[in-house]
Amino acid sequence: MATNLNDNEVSFVPPFLKKIFEYIKSTVVWKSIFRVGYPDTMPKRMAVMRSSFYMHIFPTKVGVHGMKIKYGWCMGGITFFLFLLLTVTGILLMFYYVPEEHRAYNDMKDLRYMVPYGVVLRNMHRWGAHGMVFTVILHMIRVFYTGSYKPPRQFNWTVGVLLLLLTLLLSFTGYLLPWDQLGFWAVTVGTNMASSTPLLGYEGPFSKYLGIQIDNDIRFALIGGTRIGPNALVRAYVWHCVGLPLIATALMIFHFWRIRKDGFSGPM
Amino acid sequence: MAETKTDAMIATQPGYERMASWPYFIWIVLLCSLFITILIWVLSMLFNAPLEEAAEWAKTPNPAKAPWYFIGLQELLVYFDPWIAGVLIPNQILIGLILIPYVDTVPEVQGCYNYSRRKFQFLFFTFGISLWFFLIITGQLLRGPSWEIYWPIIDYPLGGNEWIYPGHPFKASQAKLHSLSLPVGITISLIGFVIGMTLPVLIFKNYFKKLGIIRYSLVMVHVLLTLAVVGKIFLRLFFGIKYVIVTPWFNI
Repeated sequence: MATNLNDNEVSFVPPFLKKIFEYIKSTVVWKSIFRVGYPDTMPKRMAVMRSSFYMHIFPTKVGVHGMKIKYGWCMGGITFFLFLLLTVTGILLMFYYVPEEHRAYNDMKDLRYMVPYGVVLRNMHRWGAHGMVFTVILHMIRVFYTGSYKPPRQFNWTVGVLLLLLTLLLSFTGYLLPWDQLGFWAVTVGTNMASSTPLLGYEGPFSKYLGIQIDNDIRFALIGGTRIGPNALVRAYVWHCVGLPLIATALMIFHFWRIRKDGFSGPM
Repeated sequence: MAETKTDAMIATQPGYERMASWPYFIWIVLLCSLFITILIWVLSMLFNAPLEEAAEWAKTPNPAKAPWYFIGLQELLVYFDPWIAGVLIPNQILIGLILIPYVDTVPEVQGCYNYSRRKFQFLFFTFGISLWFFLIITGQLLRGPSWEIYWPIIDYPLGGNEWIYPGHPFKASQAKLHSLSLPVGITISLIGFVIGMTLPVLIFKNYFKKLGIIRYSLVMVHVLLTLAVVGKIFLRLFFGIKYVIVTPWFNI
């Protein structure tokens, strides 16, 4: 299959520019970075994937079946891409945001009215986050309907379920950070449910026999107080920006490694 | 050998067509990334992310709603105590999802959309997903102040105030509710459980044999729990039953 794909190509590049390109490509520096050369033959196409650290996340060859848009909807890839987009916008947002009770909301106002492109930055983070929750659910639905969780991919489905949960938790912890009425009360409603946990929440069944009270139950551990306050804000911030992304990244590495080893699902 | 088939082994099968990742796959990834970036960017230029007034402990909004993906659980609070709606049900959903590949072992049907050879799996999963989104849509669009049913968008109760009279199932705060006595509740639950567990064994004998007792029990317990959630919603809406089982420690 070693056919040269550039044989009949019409070139619009002036000859002197071509000469300059040829010279640059022949330098030691260029060759040390792009070791394979332009991948215009099948062996080079394989080599360019195999020899690059970042490209190596993709296989050198993929099954035609699994590549079809109508089969996979690209939903897993889009979810991961949104995670990357959220990481970038999230890091930029961290420059302008301090998780302090009296400052957080003012920082949101600054982002909207003072920071150049701050409003677009925050909007992209917000809509991207909603999008990620939606696409990860669609990804799960697609994987179920195509039966792609079946052997040998059972455990990767389990990791996927955990990643779904982490996506929801990431979105939920981010909800509190603007410190406005919307996030504040949504997180109040959400965390109040934890106080009803059997045995571990102070309003839950059987917990009174364990000496569980409002100031030592699971909700107290989650929000660092008996109601949503400055401690809850810092905890949500740290979980949102450090803890949960680290756990999610660790699981994603596993998730993608298994897909890389097992290949895209296809008819057996 | 179907248990441990790897990519390399699948690739050696006749009729399995493959192509180079470069440039075809990379091209799809690049286009997809560009498309999503542009989509999110355009959305961000057109619509501002919501930002309400500064958080204030003394000002409780009515209703205070959870984020949309958790609002299904909040909607279940109408029908269940918080330890069931907020703790037991979400945990059980996670456990159920994780169990799926270990209880559904028909390895030949994979890698394609195939309804006819896995009807039960299709129907149960679709039912569960639909229920989840039905609860989200109800909670997000149809619930207004005091968690009453409202028209979406319009700030007005469903059918007007006169239409909702005390005891009507849609008027949550004014409905006249009663609970079943403990023996009746336990008897009904037990009968439901026993019939639910044994009836499919008698009707679908092959299915039971194929699954084995452990897988069958795991599947049926989750099916019955899902149906029980729907059943409780019906009991509450149309018979005004608040609890099926009442004990000094917890109510279901």
